Amino acid sequence: MIEVRNLSKYYGSRCAVDKISFSVAEGEIVGFLGPNGAGKTTTIRVLTCFHPADDGQASVAGHDVFQKSMDVRKHVGYLPESVPLYPEMRVREYLQFRGKIRGLGRAERDAAIGRVTQRCWLSEVIDRPIGQLSKGYRQRVGLADALIHNPKVLILDEPTVGLDPGQVRETRSLIRELAQDHTVMLSSHILPEVEATCKRIIIINRGRIVASGTTAELRERVAGDHNTLAEIRGPKDGVEAGLRAITGVTDVRSEQRDGWLRVSIATRNDVREAVFQAAMKNGWSIRELRREGASLEDFFVKIVASAAAQATE
Amino acid sequence: MRNTIAIMQRELLSLFCSPIGYIVISGFLLITGVIVLMTKSFSPGQPATLAAFFYLTPFVLTIIVPAITMRAISDEYRSGTIETLMTAPVSDAQLVVGKFLASLVFYVIMIAATLIYPILISMFGRADWGAAASSYVGLLLMGATFIAFGVMASSLTRNQVVAWIAGAVPLLLLAWLAYYMIPQVSGALRTVFQEVNVMGRFEAMTKGAISLSSAVFFVGGAVLFLFIATKIVESKRWR
Ligand SMILES: Nc1ncnc2c1ncn2[C@@H]1O[C@H](COP(=O)(O)OP(=O)(O)OP(=O)(O)O)[C@@H](O)[C@H]1O
Ligand SMILES: [Mg+2]
Repeated sequence: MIEVRNLSKYYGSRCAVDKISFSVAEGEIVGFLGPNGAGKTTTIRVLTCFHPADDGQASVAGHDVFQKSMDVRKHVGYLPESVPLYPEMRVREYLQFRGKIRGLGRAERDAAIGRVTQRCWLSEVIDRPIGQLSKGYRQRVGLADALIHNPKVLILDEPTVGLDPGQVRETRSLIRELAQDHTVMLSSHILPEVEATCKRIIIINRGRIVASGTTAELRERVAGDHNTLAEIRGPKDGVEAGLRAITGVTDVRSEQRDGWLRVSIATRNDVREAVFQAAMKNGWSIRELRREGASLEDFFVKIVASAAAQATE
Repeated sequence: MRNTIAIMQRELLSLFCSPIGYIVISGFLLITGVIVLMTKSFSPGQPATLAAFFYLTPFVLTIIVPAITMRAISDEYRSGTIETLMTAPVSDAQLVVGKFLASLVFYVIMIAATLIYPILISMFGRADWGAAASSYVGLLLMGATFIAFGVMASSLTRNQVVAWIAGAVPLLLLAWLAYYMIPQVSGALRTVFQEVNVMGRFEAMTKGAISLSSAVFFVGGAVLFLFIATKIVESKRWR
């Protein structure tokens, strides 16, 4: 549904997106995750035909965004980051207008407006001027607009930013629901958000894709860098030497705490059973043994921090 | 075509929702009303005439028309709604022409309100309906050119005030400079000024003479400015 190859975009001499490639299959729901200024909006604007790219190819719904821009626009529903609307219009007037420029006839339009107002819980504000609506309702109007022509592809730029927790939850469940019959790509700078809604995550930073995969795959990668933690009662040197002997262990560090040794074992694989057996053999007691929970959050923060460090160098 | 109409309708809705629309219409009627009164168009014992009204109106329009068009495209830039338009299946030309048509409809309504003056005149004496009719055709043609120019100015910037100035100042120069320069220059320059003499062309129409060349001049000017506006909107994507 979405194919991007070596896409680059410069603002003046400043590179906002640097030769990125990725693809989104039909029916997928993909999260585009990155810190502020990563290039999410820029990429999305290229995909929605708002900005032309400087280099590379992109196609959406089987049409090239540069050559067949009108075809792409027909098949994409887009919620821009700032949710721009006309404050002087009423919600119904706005949706009528958007339906018209989407090429819907009168009857189709009325049906579509009925459908999206129901889906986006807009019935109670349908005849109010948009300028008087709260941020949450404006967001819903934007979403309703993106859905009005029942597009194959939905592209949502930070769909829950600025919403209260209740509305965030509602919007996420709506997006998950929509993913059943649309291909969805959404951007966010909040990891739990994409974890909660998306099957697959693409992490972008400083214009480059730094990681991508399903949440499970990413977690697997993250787990590789993590530790097994144990609390053992035994002689410090003996315990360290004994644990180092276990295959797969790359490093062991320990500190004494209220009579127990708190040991952190750096390994790539699961060594919990081997640790237990070593303890049995040497007569140490164990009161805790666990693999440190693989946190995507840590991973994401690490990526962002290392990028920030690079930037200041 | 459907898109153009949809854009036009939406723009008209916004024009009539905004205070600017009403300020512009009442400002225009106030100024022209003052002109009609001050120039003693209805003095008793003298033949009633709208000559002064038609002489000064183009001057007023160079300032009023850019005020109608100033928000047309610049407000889409400012509010960011340009993004929702340019990512929907709407071409740049449809956007520009839709905005132009909306401003033209608004302008026609505004000009129609001044029909009260010839009607008043006809009550005071014998109005020259032929000249009035050709004057109004002239107002329409000249207005179309001015509006297209204003829409073009509006496509340049996200700031409405800048759009207004960028529309009004060149129009003022265009309309008046040539008119006043013609007697003072000669040769090729004079020919050029005679060609672009907006005021002179309009003046001829107030006397009942609608020439093909003037019609082509005004309509062609409008088309040219709209074409340039389309190119400007297109180029804005490349930032
Ligand atoms: N119109 C513009 N002109 C110049 N530079 C821009 C423009 N828009 C974005 N940039 C720059 O391009 C880079 C990427 O911006 P982009 O808006 O794509 O980031 P983002 O990932 O959407 O961030 P956020 O989470 O803050 O929305 C940033 O460094 C930004 O400063
Ligand atoms: Mg963004």
